[in-house]
Amino acid sequence: MILDLHTHSIKSDDGRAKVQNYCQWIKTREIPIDGFVLTEHRQFDNESDYRELAREFGITILKGSEVETEYGHVLVFGVTEALQRAFDFSDIHLPLAKVVEACEKHGAVPAPCHPGRPRVGMHAHLETFGVPDGVRIVEVYNGGSRDSEDEIAQAMAEELGYLGIGGSDAHIVSHVGRCATRFPMDIHSESELVEALRAGDFEAITNRQ
Amino acid sequence: MTINSISEVEFGAELPVFEPDTGLANVKRFVVAAGWNGPRFTDHEAARKEGLPGALVPGILSQGYLAAMIHRWAPEALIQNVDTVFRAPLIVDEPCSISGVVTDIDEEAGRVEIDLTITNAKGETRVFGTAEVKLPA
Amino acid sequence: MSETLDIDSIRTNFLNQDYDERHFELTPQQIVDYAEACGETAPRYTDPGHPDFQAPPTFASSFQPGKRLPDGFPKLPGLGMDAGKAVSPKAPMRPGVPLVGRTHLHDVYAKTGRSGRMTFMVTRMEVYDPDQLLLATADTRIVIRERPAKDAS
Repeated sequence: MILDLHTHSIKSDDGRAKVQNYCQWIKTREIPIDGFVLTEHRQFDNESDYRELAREFGITILKGSEVETEYGHVLVFGVTEALQRAFDFSDIHLPLAKVVEACEKHGAVPAPCHPGRPRVGMHAHLETFGVPDGVRIVEVYNGGSRDSEDEIAQAMAEELGYLGIGGSDAHIVSHVGRCATRFPMDIHSESELVEALRAGDFEAITNRQ
Repeated sequence: MTINSISEVEFGAELPVFEPDTGLANVKRFVVAAGWNGPRFTDHEAARKEGLPGALVPGILSQGYLAAMIHRWAPEALIQNVDTVFRAPLIVDEPCSISGVVTDIDEEAGRVEIDLTITNAKGETRVFGTAEVKLPA
Repeated sequence: MSETLDIDSIRTNFLNQDYDERHFELTPQQIVDYAEACGETAPRYTDPGHPDFQAPPTFASSFQPGKRLPDGFPKLPGLGMDAGKAVSPKAPMRPGVPLVGRTHLHDVYAKTGRSGRMTFMVTRMEVYDPDQLLLATADTRIVIRERPAKDAS
């Protein structure tokens, strides 16, 4: 099963993609992914229900978040109400340690995204803040990153023993699926995604030309 | 190939790539017409003194490029909305390339949605956005 | 320590209130220069003799309010740059027609990006003709990059 683990819709302030249009695009253009995760900036979208859309298109549509910490941006998978009470998703100065601790306590998985980018990527902050505890997974393929930034992410992951995921970071429809993550099992819910990430059996892939 | 009606548009169709004129003389012409004349856009040295990498192509010009690209593809298109996000500056005298792709068609409403991307010579995305366009039946 | 804007206070005190009104009138040559510089080739934008001659649909984005920000707005803590524009043309804009643009602060929020903490402000100008027909709305997203302490002057 291949999922794009990092996408944005119009719910994100700089997102311009409607979720239905992502689905149409994936099917009509035969984008080689089975689904995607909406990781909206600084929020979890509690109100949208994409189950009907997912059934209609035969695509897995899951929800997560992208939050902001002193180490840069972090994807969060397995967001629950309890996790949302544990810290303020809209805070742009979250301590990564707090995010990691809250995820561990509430059954979620954090994954620093585009870690090779300046300022918003984890690698740029290692010298200042040190290697953070509790990080196991980072995004090593990001569809919006420069090749050199992904290389930094991959080198860091190898050096620090992190597992790597892939995501498009799509903000417009036509960018979905540029990078993704391959899992050996079927995933149709956030809890199954969390279980799969925790199992550690996955591979980041890139579909970029 | 130009489009004259919505029935000619296919989902996923790519608009002809447009390589606009980012040369200094053209940018100067634009900023004077738009009332945006200023050294940030017309003088590389002055722009660098402001901490910029060079004279900038103003965001409104890149938006204008997107509209022009749409009209080159569909001369009778009525643009309803162009929404652009500026990720990084376009620099005057540096070439760029604009691509567009149709991401939604509502034939009943006569409306098409287009994803638009402006990339520099290194293939880095500088501007992205979407447009909603009405086409004749 | 760098200065930051109080987002909540700005939203309470300034959002959705018209703070500027400015008048514009376009000339045919202005429209032609603008259109051709953008790469427009359609004669309705490039030929003043065309029966439907009008400004290209993004022209409203170029209209600048007389005041960039409302009176009493806090001092910006850094350089303001254009982060994006959205324009929705509603009706043709013709040369020689007096236009009025009314501007309000539409949204304000903060986020981190490649260059650090940034505050985004969205101002919206609504452009009307003398009959108060809405011709276009034009949104400008301004990003203010917070100066780090060592760069603050």
